[in-house]
Amino acid sequence: MREEPIERLQFGVLYRAFLLRVVDLEILSAQGDVVKLLGQFASLLAAISFFFTVPLILVGGRLPQETLWTMEHVLIATTMVVVGLFSVLSWDSIFPDRRDVLVLAPLPVRARTLFLAKLGASLTALSVSVLALNIFTGLVWPFLFSPANGGGFAAIRSLAAYWVTVFAAGAFIFCSGLGVHWLAAQLLPRQQFLRLSAFLQVAAVCLFLSVYFLEPSLETPAALTAPQNQQLLAWLPSYWFLGLFQELNGGGSSSVSMDSAFVPLAMRACTGLAIAVLGSGAAIMLSYFRTLRKIVEEPDILPGSRRMNWSPPLANSLQSAIALFSVRTLLRSRHHRVIFSFYLGIGFAIVLAYMKPALGPHSSPHVAATAPVSVPLLTASILMMCVVVTGMRIVFSMPIALRANWIFRITETRKAPEYLTAIRRTLLWISCFPVWAVFAMLFLAIWPLRFAAGHLVILGLLGIIFTDLSVHGFQKIPFTCSYLPGKGNIQLVFWACVVLLPLTYAAARLEWQALQNLSRYVFVVVILSIAAGWARWRTAASARSAKALNFDEVPPVDILALGLRTDGEMLPEQS
Amino acid sequence: MLELRNVSKRFLGIPAVDNVSFSARAGEVTGYLGPNGSGKSTTMKMITGLIGLGCGEILFEGKPIQRDLIAYKQRMGYVPEEPHLYTHLSANEYLVMVSELRNLAAQEAGERIDGMLRLFALHDDRHAPISAYSKGMRQKVLVAAALLHNPDLILLDEPFSGLDVGSALVLRSLIQELAARGKVVLFSSHELETVERICSHVVILHRGKVVADDSIERLRTLMALPTLEEIFSQLAVEQDSVAISRQIADLIHA
Repeated sequence: MREEPIERLQFGVLYRAFLLRVVDLEILSAQGDVVKLLGQFASLLAAISFFFTVPLILVGGRLPQETLWTMEHVLIATTMVVVGLFSVLSWDSIFPDRRDVLVLAPLPVRARTLFLAKLGASLTALSVSVLALNIFTGLVWPFLFSPANGGGFAAIRSLAAYWVTVFAAGAFIFCSGLGVHWLAAQLLPRQQFLRLSAFLQVAAVCLFLSVYFLEPSLETPAALTAPQNQQLLAWLPSYWFLGLFQELNGGGSSSVSMDSAFVPLAMRACTGLAIAVLGSGAAIMLSYFRTLRKIVEEPDILPGSRRMNWSPPLANSLQSAIALFSVRTLLRSRHHRVIFSFYLGIGFAIVLAYMKPALGPHSSPHVAATAPVSVPLLTASILMMCVVVTGMRIVFSMPIALRANWIFRITETRKAPEYLTAIRRTLLWISCFPVWAVFAMLFLAIWPLRFAAGHLVILGLLGIIFTDLSVHGFQKIPFTCSYLPGKGNIQLVFWACVVLLPLTYAAARLEWQALQNLSRYVFVVVILSIAAGWARWRTAASARSAKALNFDEVPPVDILALGLRTDGEMLPEQS
Repeated sequence: MLELRNVSKRFLGIPAVDNVSFSARAGEVTGYLGPNGSGKSTTMKMITGLIGLGCGEILFEGKPIQRDLIAYKQRMGYVPEEPHLYTHLSANEYLVMVSELRNLAAQEAGERIDGMLRLFALHDDRHAPISAYSKGMRQKVLVAAALLHNPDLILLDEPFSGLDVGSALVLRSLIQELAARGKVVLFSSHELETVERICSHVVILHRGKVVADDSIERLRTLMALPTLEEIFSQLAVEQDSVAISRQIADLIHA
């Protein structure tokens, strides 16, 4: 038998296996459908694409040139941020994990076959993400981006230029992210690298989202050609690829002055892409084969601190056990840290987005961050609380070492409500309290005590409300129950979040007014206290009725069985 | 005493355990034997409450375990067949967590954990993550976690898996010592030699049914066979092991 066909066959087998393992199958419930989960994500990306096509439908395709440039930039930047987040989430899946190596190393599979299959699966998933994200925008907008009176050829050229640009921008971000990651893998001892990797992932998520939300709008001829903006443009890759698109589309050559702006940006895009691809390729080659050996030889986790025996001040040993288990899992499981950092990144981006007008020149006194009270900061703190509590609650439902959860079942020696109280307190301690504490330090430093304390009371009440709403019906010890994809409607959640942003701003405006007036403030606090009391009562009532903890998520039955016997008698458990 | 009365369990209509009845008395080690797929681990999981009963009854000290599962679990210790542990925790953290989940007094639990870690030769590695442990070390953590709360009922499913000779000898003596102190010990294993040494009473399962339930001595006399291995082969092994091994060797040579 020749060697090459065997390798090709092995590649095919491994590629298919890794492609389905873009999501960690170990965490899924026995009834979990990974295809459904991936389909939901693809449809979410397609929905975003549709969202960006709506303005075009509303205005009937007649848009000024500068708006078109803005749209070009927004679409490129959106593709880059989505690919950036994807690359962060797939950092670990491109390297074979311990299980891959232990299973495949004894087999006659070359390391390069394993590596190519992993890379191929990741690139396929990445390409599908880019395609889904541009499924509507990439088929509609390019026709408007084509030069006026260019005819059919110009439209096709614009279409090709668009797709080349979004894939090039995606490849740049993907390779840059992975290049940095692999370089760190090369330079550091493996265990230190694993620790740093987690921080790099969180930092990268925050960086991508911050740049996306905070980068200035420079899509006008004046801004693009202004000498004072050139240094800034040189550091903003989304503008490089805007330049590349303009050059490929022939838009830049229509005006000599704009050509001088777009050519350097396009050159920078090409250079950046080449450096990212070559650099990450070299880093992969260097680190991959060395890492394979290290994965088997060295444990993934460094020993903990020998003197650290701190325990949170909680009411009983059960609460302490669950809180410590949750904290340790979150700190030591890279998988969970990455998912949580995604939510943290969203919260961080929202804070920055709301801080942006507050930090810049403003006309309204309630907007400035340094004003006695700033509405954007009020909004940012409320949204951050909401995002962190929600993110933590979602991460809680993702298991770690599902088969090890038997210990919680065997030691289930107390009634379910006691566990649910412990879970609620854990969520309060590790999500609500840190957010509250960080904003307390910030507000007490920049605002007068009266306003800062006033808002902190409201923020605390909101934190309790969010926590109680999050844990209602959540009858699971964090990180121990199997995950059933498709239970939550991602589309609905996404659009609810879109609606929530302006609503929160309106609520923060109301709070701002209440903080200026004592009677109004008391009224708001009383209303929130009642809401918090109701949420607490509802959660406690649900906990009291809970009979057992849930360790295996099962889908709801599609057909309700009446359980009738042939003689019409009900079965005992249903009667 | 632990008593199983007509216990059955089916998976997708196929009986895994079929009308099993036996009892394990305090002060003796009961061996629970059977070939792969005979329903041993399913029975163990039903006794621990990890899976529900199909039908029948499991009683501990005369009371159905389902009547007060919480009280029952407080008195039970279990070493599972597979060493599934939270490997991101250290042995110390894992055992502290188990003691907290079992609501043991912190100081007493701390002393027991420290003592167990020393006696099981894990003390030097107590702060290392379990992911870095060998199979034998993980097995020791499981045994320590099962005994931490001084249970009255001890369920051991392949407890010698991965242990070195020295540790296996310690565990063997420990099982006998615990039984001598009045504990109910149910011990499932494929190592018939070990079972023969430490068990006074054996239950042999075959295709989900009990085919023998007696003391080893009486089984030897009744069946006129000198060793447990031969008794087991006669009752629960259908295949001709020599013929099968020859067929396998022929198959890979072909």
